[in-house]
Amino acid sequence: MATDYLERGAVAGVAGGLVYGLFVATVGNAFTAGLETFEHGHGHGGGPVVSGLTTAVASIGGGVLWGILFGVAVFGMAYFFLEPAIPGSGATKRLALAGAGFLTVSGAPWLVLPPQPPGVEQALGTETRLAWYAGLMTLGALVAVLAGLTYRRAEGRHAAVRLGATALPLALLAVPVALAPANPVHGDVPAALVAAYRWTVVFGQLLLWATIAGVHAWLGDSDTPVADDLDYPATAD
Amino acid sequence: MQDDTDTTRATDSVYDRIERARASLTGPQIAIAVALVAALGFTLLFVQDPMLHDSLHNFRHSAGITCH
Repeated sequence: MATDYLERGAVAGVAGGLVYGLFVATVGNAFTAGLETFEHGHGHGGGPVVSGLTTAVASIGGGVLWGILFGVAVFGMAYFFLEPAIPGSGATKRLALAGAGFLTVSGAPWLVLPPQPPGVEQALGTETRLAWYAGLMTLGALVAVLAGLTYRRAEGRHAAVRLGATALPLALLAVPVALAPANPVHGDVPAALVAAYRWTVVFGQLLLWATIAGVHAWLGDSDTPVADDLDYPATAD
Repeated sequence: MQDDTDTTRATDSVYDRIERARASLTGPQIAIAVALVAALGFTLLFVQDPMLHDSLHNFRHSAGITCH
């Protein structure tokens, strides 16, 4: 039973990972490597210890594993437990979970710590940023759960009202944005290029989540309702 | 008590799913699954060994995770 879910999640993750690996291969690698020309000496100190080819290949592999991680953890494990609570049905249900996953892993943290291309140095230390990232992931997950609960509470209202109410918890994300310490950056990368890089990263992650959700929906549900497939008799009483 | 799917008109809840997982999965199975996910996440994000860290450089930037 649970292993069916794990298997479907893993398959969807492999599919999403392959698509995302292709994205890294075609866009991520070249864009990142190109922006490295703006790096002047500082950074990792002494330059990378591996060749550009190794980095390119390992990064594609990293992209595939990234998809498998999300597929297994979110669609294989979390979906099994949360399925009854996630709004919608079919593909909508998967997209709702994918949206929650994106918000938790990337969306919420990026409001304070947006993706940076190489060649841009941030003022905040790595430890501080890690702590903020972890905190914002927690808040992102909390906001997603609250949105789900609000959707449930607003049952029976007009669809527009219901959607509006569901989006309300997102306002909580303004709190860390207002409280976060300033993180001035410096580097020679033109602002327009930084913006292009950021949005490329955003769309890359959206592509990954959407692919996993789409493939997971396409794989379908278990043929039998959960309750019918138990080994112990449900009518024991 | 444990099996109230009948009394609640077979509605499924998160609680039911947790019960179901408890009934159908063994401890080691859960441990292996959790360990695999943790190992994957750790390898991709937190290993600081220069060889691995640098070779995943483009991936981390492309995924929006920056370390410097």
